[in-house]
Amino acid sequence: MHLLSSLPKLRLFLTIITLSICLPLASTSSSVSSASSTATPSQAPSEHDYNEHLTLRPLPGNSLLASFNFKSNGSLDHGDHMLLFPRSLKQVLTASWARELHVKFTLGRWNAEEYGVQPNSGRTAGGTGVEVWAWVEAGDEEEAFARWTTLTNALSGLFCASLNFIDATRTIRPVLSFQPTGHHSDATLSRLHLLHGSLPREPVCTENLTPFLKLLPCKAKVGISTLLDGHKLFDANWQSMSIDVRPVCDDNGENCKLEMEQAVDMVVDIERSLRRRDSPIPKPRPHDQLLCDETKPYLTEDASCFPLDNLFDLGWSLSEIFGRPITGTCPFGVKEGVEALRVCLEVPDSRPVFLSVGSQERKFDPQNRCFLLPGEGYFDMILPKQRPPTLSPSTPPALFAERSFTGYGQERGGVQTILRNPSLTHSVDFVYLESLPWFMKPYLHTLSARLSGSPQANNEAFIKETYYRPALDRKRGTHLEIRMSVPRNSTVLLTYDFEKAVLRYTEYPPDANRGFDIAPAIIGILESQGVVGGVGGGEGRKVVSYLRTTSLLLYLPTPDFSMPYNVIILTSTVIALAFGTVFNILVRKFVLKSEVPKLGGRVSGLVGKVKNLLLKKRGKE
Amino acid sequence: MDKRCISVILGGMLLRLLLFTAFPSLPTLLGNRVEISTPVTSFKRLQEGLFLYTHGVSPYDGGVYHQAPLLLAFFSMMPSSAMATNLIYIIADIQSTLALIDIARSGWSTKSRLHESKRKEMAWPAWGVAAAFLFNPFTIAACIGRPTVVFTNTVILTAIAKAIQGRPTPATLALALSSYLSLYPCLLLAPLVLLSYDFLLHCHSTTLLPTNFSLSKFATTQVTIYFTAVACLLGLSYLITGNSWEFLASTYGVHLFLPDLTPNVGLWWYFFIEMFDPFREFFLCVFQLHLLIYAPGLTIRLRKQPLFVCITMLGILSIFKSYPSIGDTALYLSLLPLYRHIIPLMRYSFVVTSAILYATLLGPAFYHLWIYAGSGNANFFYAITLVWSLSVTLVVADALFAVLREEWEVEGNGREGKPVVQI
Repeated sequence: MHLLSSLPKLRLFLTIITLSICLPLASTSSSVSSASSTATPSQAPSEHDYNEHLTLRPLPGNSLLASFNFKSNGSLDHGDHMLLFPRSLKQVLTASWARELHVKFTLGRWNAEEYGVQPNSGRTAGGTGVEVWAWVEAGDEEEAFARWTTLTNALSGLFCASLNFIDATRTIRPVLSFQPTGHHSDATLSRLHLLHGSLPREPVCTENLTPFLKLLPCKAKVGISTLLDGHKLFDANWQSMSIDVRPVCDDNGENCKLEMEQAVDMVVDIERSLRRRDSPIPKPRPHDQLLCDETKPYLTEDASCFPLDNLFDLGWSLSEIFGRPITGTCPFGVKEGVEALRVCLEVPDSRPVFLSVGSQERKFDPQNRCFLLPGEGYFDMILPKQRPPTLSPSTPPALFAERSFTGYGQERGGVQTILRNPSLTHSVDFVYLESLPWFMKPYLHTLSARLSGSPQANNEAFIKETYYRPALDRKRGTHLEIRMSVPRNSTVLLTYDFEKAVLRYTEYPPDANRGFDIAPAIIGILESQGVVGGVGGGEGRKVVSYLRTTSLLLYLPTPDFSMPYNVIILTSTVIALAFGTVFNILVRKFVLKSEVPKLGGRVSGLVGKVKNLLLKKRGKE
Repeated sequence: MDKRCISVILGGMLLRLLLFTAFPSLPTLLGNRVEISTPVTSFKRLQEGLFLYTHGVSPYDGGVYHQAPLLLAFFSMMPSSAMATNLIYIIADIQSTLALIDIARSGWSTKSRLHESKRKEMAWPAWGVAAAFLFNPFTIAACIGRPTVVFTNTVILTAIAKAIQGRPTPATLALALSSYLSLYPCLLLAPLVLLSYDFLLHCHSTTLLPTNFSLSKFATTQVTIYFTAVACLLGLSYLITGNSWEFLASTYGVHLFLPDLTPNVGLWWYFFIEMFDPFREFFLCVFQLHLLIYAPGLTIRLRKQPLFVCITMLGILSIFKSYPSIGDTALYLSLLPLYRHIIPLMRYSFVVTSAILYATLLGPAFYHLWIYAGSGNANFFYAITLVWSLSVTLVVADALFAVLREEWEVEGNGREGKPVVQI
């Protein structure tokens, strides 16, 4: 192992690890951890820095938000010096000319009413399923789309997800909602094409987590990523895995590097996690262990119970929630300063926290209590049961959005989005983006925005700008972007009608009667205009945070899948009948029935001959 | 025009006005019915196209609007109030009635250049034919539901009326307009030219006509006029839609290739939902050629009665075109009363009437079971469309039989009322 102390060989070694997916994991982990003893931070060049941290924030209802963040940097040049940046991803980016890439895997529902604003202002979360968007450098739209196809196909292989199903019908080119977050030179910027695709139906699962973790330098073997276990992650109420790759430069536009941020956010139900520990088989809790509200008068003596919430904070520890403690520290991370590897806890100082030996608390800002990980060994954190609960109030998001279908039947329907601005002082401006499949045909002339409670639509007051690209059957989906404004403390209803298409029977999925998933609407909150009533340009305002509605399930009318032959035969019969009858009448001659010779004239002649013969014989006798 | 005609027209107009004003939700309700509105005629889609057109988005770069560009230009010039639109539809129906009255009064259905019926006295007067059109429930439903097929019907009737009035060029121009609006009326070109030719020969003394007046010359002129008119209309559309030909694929392409499989009363939609992918193109060709093949057959066999060829072709189109609606059938059924005198010769009148009533009543019920109640599947509505198509086919075939038999009766003596067979 002493051979590895020189840097070039270490690089080589790490490259091999990154590439060798099939390498036995045990040996990889031992190699990395033994390498950690030799590779000191001073040896790592500054542009290849890496850091990871975990932030834990208790949420109402005994939930816990765990935000993992891993940031690594790679060089922008096209050489092979990857070091910590995953080479597999870099090759994909190079081949597809993607200059900035965002991939999101999301599952579950973020309950904004309870949880408040999403972590990282919604920047790292996507809509239900998989969402990808990228800025691809290309000369024209056609080339951009070809490169986008290369990108999605490669990512599909990389992440074991059905990203290759993002074809032209699921791709849109948003104009208002997204802006590049990295630094791009003006020359590049003019050649960048933004493409966006989503797969709302994709079930995000362990097979997506494993390749996600493989991109990390420590591969979930040491450091905080050891907490990421599929069983726990996908048991969460809401979870999102995101990868954001962008070029980052310093203020002068120099020293550019490729930054990759991997984030995992999850909302864990503490009670459910602990219950799993106590009894792996879910069983109803015995009556004497239930917390009941005894004051309810309508509850009788027997087994009924009105459960009580938020009586106290449940006690938990890292190993109870995630199934294991943090093992060691990732050796490549920054060890000093603000960026140091750490676990932060957003609980007030009043709540006691017990740490494992060797870790130390650092205060970076007043809300957070951060702990530096010990160099080696296990790190765990125990929060005992606390009564009364110590909840820090959640920040409400700038906007609450709920989207649902209206109408009934499988022929047509409507979409209604309820947009509520909770702020008492400011109106909120935002961009509302819908990407609909082609078989859902919206009628734009029915688009209307009205204040909740008022029957009169008032589009001019709320809709500032509309960008609409209608769907083309089997070629392109609908792309609708609306810049809207919701006044302070009010609720606006955005509605439109649509018609459902009937598909060819081969175009339905095997479970056709389940319905089709409609991608969540993406809402990008624009930065406030500063001075109230000041002249603010609608264009060029930055999106400061994102939120997404839930996905929708669209029922389409279905044909009878069992009888293509019958239909072909029956319809052909009707057509043949019509053709036959008409041409029969056209080509034949009319004849009086009396003029037609009697049927079987010859036969009767024959019979007569036989009769005559018989008569002759009789006569002879 | 006599008093009866005027009172029938007034009655039809008032009925429509009453329906429009007394039941303000009726147009939307009927306009949403698949039997009345098809993807190529729906009024809601027209509104969407208008909205996109007036907001600077090309309606042809999308999968919703499949109607002719001139309709856009026309409706964008009209006031956008619902009453104005309703009036346009009422006026269209009245224009159709006027054309029908012209056709009926000419008596061309009983006595033409090459054919004179022996049952002339049985023919209905003009007001009867007008009433059969204006008070036909299908026509009323089509007018209230406001599909654009109403305009196509008006233009077709006008074309026939002009031909019978001895004005061949306006007739051909009207036919060009109707083909421009919904493609399939182009199949009426041959019988319409013959109709104009017959009328000119019959009603003008030879001195009025040019000395070298012959069918081939006349037909060449009319066909040239027809194609020039169509080209002009297409060119105008090209200018209206911002110098782009993409409307061609989005209007006539839809008629030809059937990308939108929304249910209707025709036979195509379910057939092409269930069709195996490799055979889709083949059967599209077969279905289109099938429509094409009737035109020459009927025109040649019924050379003496080109008016009836037009009517029969309209009947066949209303069954077998790619997006038929009851508006098309209404046109056929309201032209049939012109041939009231052959109805006694039809063999299946009772069966056909029952079958049409059966399909009319059960169609909406079965559609509801499939789409809304969920207690039936697509086969329910499909079965009803089969019955509907079969019954209209029977009407067409039976009327054709009756007309041919009548022609045969005229050709010889002592044939009336005697049983016949075809060999």
